[in-house]
Amino acid sequence: MKYRIFTILTMTLMVGMAFLPTQSAYAASCCGGGSATSLILPKFSKAMIDVSTDIEKYDGFWNDVGDYVPDPAGSDLNQYRLNLGYAHRLASHWQASINVPYVWNVNEYSGLTSRTNGLGDTTINLFYEAFDTIKCVYKVNTVKDLVPAVYLGTSLTVPTGISPYDNVENSFDITGRGFYRLDGVLLVDKTIYPWNASLELSYGAYFERSVNREYGNYVEPYDKNLGNRAQGTFSFGYTHFLDTMDTLTFTGAYADLWEDEGEIDGNTDPTSGLRKRSVAGTIAFSTMNNDWVVKFTWNHAIQRDRWGANFPTTDIYTIGVRHVFL
Amino acid sequence: MSFCKSLFSLLLLAVTACADMTDDLNPSGEDKRPVVEAGSIGPYVGQQAPDFTLSDTLYTFHTLSTELTTANGIVLYFNMWCPLCDSHMSHMRENIVPDFPLVSFFVVDYVTGSVSLSRSSQVANGFTDFTVLVDIDQYIVNSYNATMGTTVVIDSNGSITMNEDYKDGSRLRTALESLP
Repeated sequence: MKYRIFTILTMTLMVGMAFLPTQSAYAASCCGGGSATSLILPKFSKAMIDVSTDIEKYDGFWNDVGDYVPDPAGSDLNQYRLNLGYAHRLASHWQASINVPYVWNVNEYSGLTSRTNGLGDTTINLFYEAFDTIKCVYKVNTVKDLVPAVYLGTSLTVPTGISPYDNVENSFDITGRGFYRLDGVLLVDKTIYPWNASLELSYGAYFERSVNREYGNYVEPYDKNLGNRAQGTFSFGYTHFLDTMDTLTFTGAYADLWEDEGEIDGNTDPTSGLRKRSVAGTIAFSTMNNDWVVKFTWNHAIQRDRWGANFPTTDIYTIGVRHVFL
Repeated sequence: MSFCKSLFSLLLLAVTACADMTDDLNPSGEDKRPVVEAGSIGPYVGQQAPDFTLSDTLYTFHTLSTELTTANGIVLYFNMWCPLCDSHMSHMRENIVPDFPLVSFFVVDYVTGSVSLSRSSQVANGFTDFTVLVDIDQYIVNSYNATMGTTVVIDSNGSITMNEDYKDGSRLRTALESLP
């Protein structure tokens, strides 16, 4: 009975995803462990729990023409997130996952201090594995050994966070964007030990919504939509085998995020849209069976002109642990 | 595995429970603006704007009621030196301000807490052509129920004709074109 309820819940989510929007993509490893930063289940694994914390420190921003601008003197702006994730294998080639963040905003200016918290936007993912066997090899003997693992996915972002359109007091309360979004995701991953490379491409569209309140104040209603979003991430990693056959994997990544201008009542909003380019480094410890992974990631937005637009420049430090049920 | 299923179900329950906290899952387009008493003092459209006196970043004091005697209207833009604020102010400078020479535009800095720091941010952000008022104690931002990006239009009678996010500037233009 319990299993049936669980199955119904899962199927309900999947059906919902077909009609609603998605989210992010992640560098992953079909072998498990390694450089994986996403909720991608290793092949033949049953389920996975992932818990991580992010510390995001804001340090200036790119303005609308891409010039880097520092934050006001005396400001210290931070966001902390606790991310709870669960991935589940639905069938031999299908897997689904959900990620729920809880967010703390801690902002200090010279003349103002604010501390707020709340649930962030939830992400639900469905992936199809376009391969039958594990694609990680130790040696290339034939051309077949070069075939990568390919994942095709869709991701739905559900606006469970606190947005500007909720009953909030001010902008410091915000933990989500307030829009559903549906993404299509392509993830290509190849490991030829000790090397690993992955490419993830995603493209998503927000769903237009009505707005009748801004930061707690009711306003004349209007329709709003955010611009379509594209992201590409390339990562390259090296795995070192310890004497115990546990592994340490070092990964470098480059990501480029772009969001088009949105619309208000059908008219383009020229003050919206964004661009962010960032680099990241990850070190991950994985047990021999890849059933436990502990990882640390540092993501850095490049604080130079023209490396982004209309977006904060931040450093994100992530510490996470995941357990895979084989 | 049963533990995993239980955890997953708990996550779903958490999301469902928190849905009560948010209107974003099922947004409303219903007009719920409050009816205000004409002539009362407050932040809402139709109310009389709360008077104030603030220093700008060059240590010149500005009193709303005095400014209204020489301008066709007043625009207050609430700013915290963020990307969105930068984008709004750039758009306003290029697309709105030149078309309304009889309107006084003020940027309200409610986060830096001092005139000197506010001036530093104003220069660093490239908005020295705006008059930036320094709301050191957040008196104005609270009086007008304002936050980042809030744009307030006050006509020459001291009545508020707009109080909402800047968005794409079109509603600000409409409000300014409607000034008496």
